[in-house]
Amino acid sequence: MRPFDYVAPASAQEAVALLAEHGDHAKVLAGGTDLIVDLKHHAGNVSLLVDVTEIPEFLGIEETDEGLRIGSAAKYGEIMEHALCREYTPEIVAASHTVGAVQTRNLGTIGGNLVTCVPSADSAPSLLVLDADVTVAGTDGNRRMPLTDFFVGPRKTSLAPHELLVDIRIPKANLGKPSHFLKFGLRKGQALALVNAAAALWLDDKGAITEPRIALGAVAPKPVRCPKAEAVIAGKQPSDELLKEAAEMAVTECKPIDDFRASANYRRQLVRTMTYRCLKRSVEIASQR
Amino acid sequence: MLVKLKVNGELRQADVPPETTLLKMLREDLGLTGAKLGCDVGDCGTCTVIVDGDSLNSCLMLAAKANGREITTIEGLATSADLHPLQKSFEELGALQCGFCGPGMLMSAKNLLDKNPEPSVHEIKDALSGNLCRCTGYTKIIEAIQDAGRELSGAAAGN
Repeated sequence: MRPFDYVAPASAQEAVALLAEHGDHAKVLAGGTDLIVDLKHHAGNVSLLVDVTEIPEFLGIEETDEGLRIGSAAKYGEIMEHALCREYTPEIVAASHTVGAVQTRNLGTIGGNLVTCVPSADSAPSLLVLDADVTVAGTDGNRRMPLTDFFVGPRKTSLAPHELLVDIRIPKANLGKPSHFLKFGLRKGQALALVNAAAALWLDDKGAITEPRIALGAVAPKPVRCPKAEAVIAGKQPSDELLKEAAEMAVTECKPIDDFRASANYRRQLVRTMTYRCLKRSVEIASQR
Repeated sequence: MLVKLKVNGELRQADVPPETTLLKMLREDLGLTGAKLGCDVGDCGTCTVIVDGDSLNSCLMLAAKANGREITTIEGLATSADLHPLQKSFEELGALQCGFCGPGMLMSAKNLLDKNPEPSVHEIKDALSGNLCRCTGYTKIIEAIQDAGRELSGAAAGN
């Protein structure tokens, strides 16, 4: 790697100030599983790494009055073992388990995965279906936004160059919401997703589906929700035909591409099957409550 | 920058440039060449070490981030008197051929057994998904880890 300086500021404001001062020459370091590889391969013009993993507000997982707060520097390994995540958001735990391998999960952070913003980001769908929002630190302090607005396109978020992702919050009403996540890759370990899918929903006291959410990864320029497919099932009694109809609608809402891993057509077929299975499993979980 | 670590129970330090990875510091500054440089991008796992109780790819971690932390490398497994039960099982069951993946395999296996003393075959495969072996086909590695797990939990139970 080409030489660079390394700092680990103790506050978000200090980190933001460093990024604002150094512009393109500074990069944010969290777990390093993407950045260090990039620096080894094409160093560019990076002269400063700002390590955000020692900033207290970026760390930890806790229950607040509003719901569950996951610090952006929480590692996948930490999320998988955390009692609150296992109890309230088991599908975020399941999605975390599909990321990389043990060693990369003990380095990689959930915030790093979201900020890197590849369409196949494994953590995105399970967070989107729980209506997660994010806290962003900038020169004027912190702001909050829905995770759906955070993703812009491949490797592009709505963060300004000097802004930082502080944490991810799951609203209290969605803790324990029946949900299911599925990833399909070409191997069981260390594979990029051909398709990621997640669903979440409640059943009301008459057994009708309420607040359905469907999200897909790796089949559009960014991780996406499927509002039309959600509308197909909202307020209806779940049946196999209905869930299949929603899965069919989800196929029309994604825009997969052909690449060396799979054809767009193959990905569309995966979307149909995986959306159906995620919905079916979510209904099963909901009906056992 | 000065990086101070506890490696295999011993306090060590080195003055390294900020772009130095933990792997490079271990190998070139501390003379611990057990962890290997393989793919250098976090895929092959032969650089695996344990940092504060968690296994990770030392090729992806800056030495600066390991400052003040506790590292166990393959050199920390055996004592002058005896091999670690995992090393014995690997030897007895022929779990290594060329051996290049060995240091990482053993550290991943140790990390697994530290947390889960009697893992299933599925759990072993899951724990080794970040360690590539191009010789053995993994079967004997899995058998050796099960064997060592039985040995270690038997010893813990006083048998």
